Amino acid sequence: MEATTASSKPDAIDLSQLCLSEPVAVDLTQLSLRPLGLSDLDDLMVWTSDEKVANFCSREPYTSKDQGIDFIENAAASFLWRRAICLKDRAIGCITLSSYADVDKAREKSAELGYVLGSNYWGKGIVTEAVKQAIKAAFIEFPYLDRVEALVDVENLGSQRVLEKAGFQREGLLRKYLVRKGKSRDTFMFSVLLSDLHPQL
Amino acid sequence: MSNLDLSKISLRPFKLSDVDDFLLWAGDDQVTQNLRWKTCGSREEALAFIRDVCIPHPWRRSICLDDRSIGFVSVYPWSGDDRCKADIGYAVAGDYWGQGIATKAVKMAVPQVFNDLSHLVRLQAFTSPQNKASQRVLEKAGFLKEGLLRKYTYFKGNIKDSIVFSFLSTDEFPHDD
Repeated sequence: MEATTASSKPDAIDLSQLCLSEPVAVDLTQLSLRPLGLSDLDDLMVWTSDEKVANFCSREPYTSKDQGIDFIENAAASFLWRRAICLKDRAIGCITLSSYADVDKAREKSAELGYVLGSNYWGKGIVTEAVKQAIKAAFIEFPYLDRVEALVDVENLGSQRVLEKAGFQREGLLRKYLVRKGKSRDTFMFSVLLSDLHPQL
Repeated sequence: MSNLDLSKISLRPFKLSDVDDFLLWAGDDQVTQNLRWKTCGSREEALAFIRDVCIPHPWRRSICLDDRSIGFVSVYPWSGDDRCKADIGYAVAGDYWGQGIATKAVKMAVPQVFNDLSHLVRLQAFTSPQNKASQRVLEKAGFLKEGLLRKYTYFKGNIKDSIVFSFLSTDEFPHDD
């Protein structure tokens, strides 16, 4: 049995944890969406290695830069559209649209929205703003789209609030609809239609 | 009010010898209007459809009255990570509408499907908002209506809304009334 001695030295303080508890207002005019590049790798590793962020994702937190490089270089092809969410041009998250056209031709006028944001930046309206910009861009760049939908875990209240504030309609709770981390999860379906934004269409 | 004895309703796999009975309902636009199926135009088409689609299907049963085919119930499981989900569809010959046959058939199918598809957690159905009869079938069979999905899918050339229903492996299996 080791003898333990009380130490008068406090444990080392993690300064980044201190910053987290201080709410920092964000100037949303400094928000932009742009393609992800290899120069974003270090910034990307911050949110992709974050367990809090990965909690509602289907992937595990990244543990190596190779995974980050793979995501930047190779994953783009699997999305209809992908942009980095940037604050003062530094990537703090990512927003994507996935097409159903390859999976089901009958659903080719629908796309699925996805997004992820570093946890330091949660709760400041950033994703809401990014989603609003993304939807506008999507319906312009892909004029054949009628519907953008988003599937959100029943426990992910933050994400549900984002979609409501961004003008999506909550259509229903689909029970045990998506598998996440090996378990079937109850999932809310949200959608925004082109005709929601432009009633004459 | 039903004067048909629903105990005469059974489910079984399709056989090539069902072709003439099959054509009576699969060749009827009234029956196929709410299905993705193309109306069968000939005996040859019907035979090919039974042979190439119905028989090899992961889970498709003929709804039979005294062992004669008067409709179908189909369950199509998704693949890969999504194999815990499957879509159910059904139809009954026009002459037999309004007698509770589809409801009876779906009630019979549900426990069989969960038994046969071991990974299945969620059975789901999509109906047109206009198809009230089909919505009633699902409600009476114990499905939960979850929501209206707007401009959800192409259906026979047009984008349509869909109402989604589900039945889970943990839901109570329907009883015969």
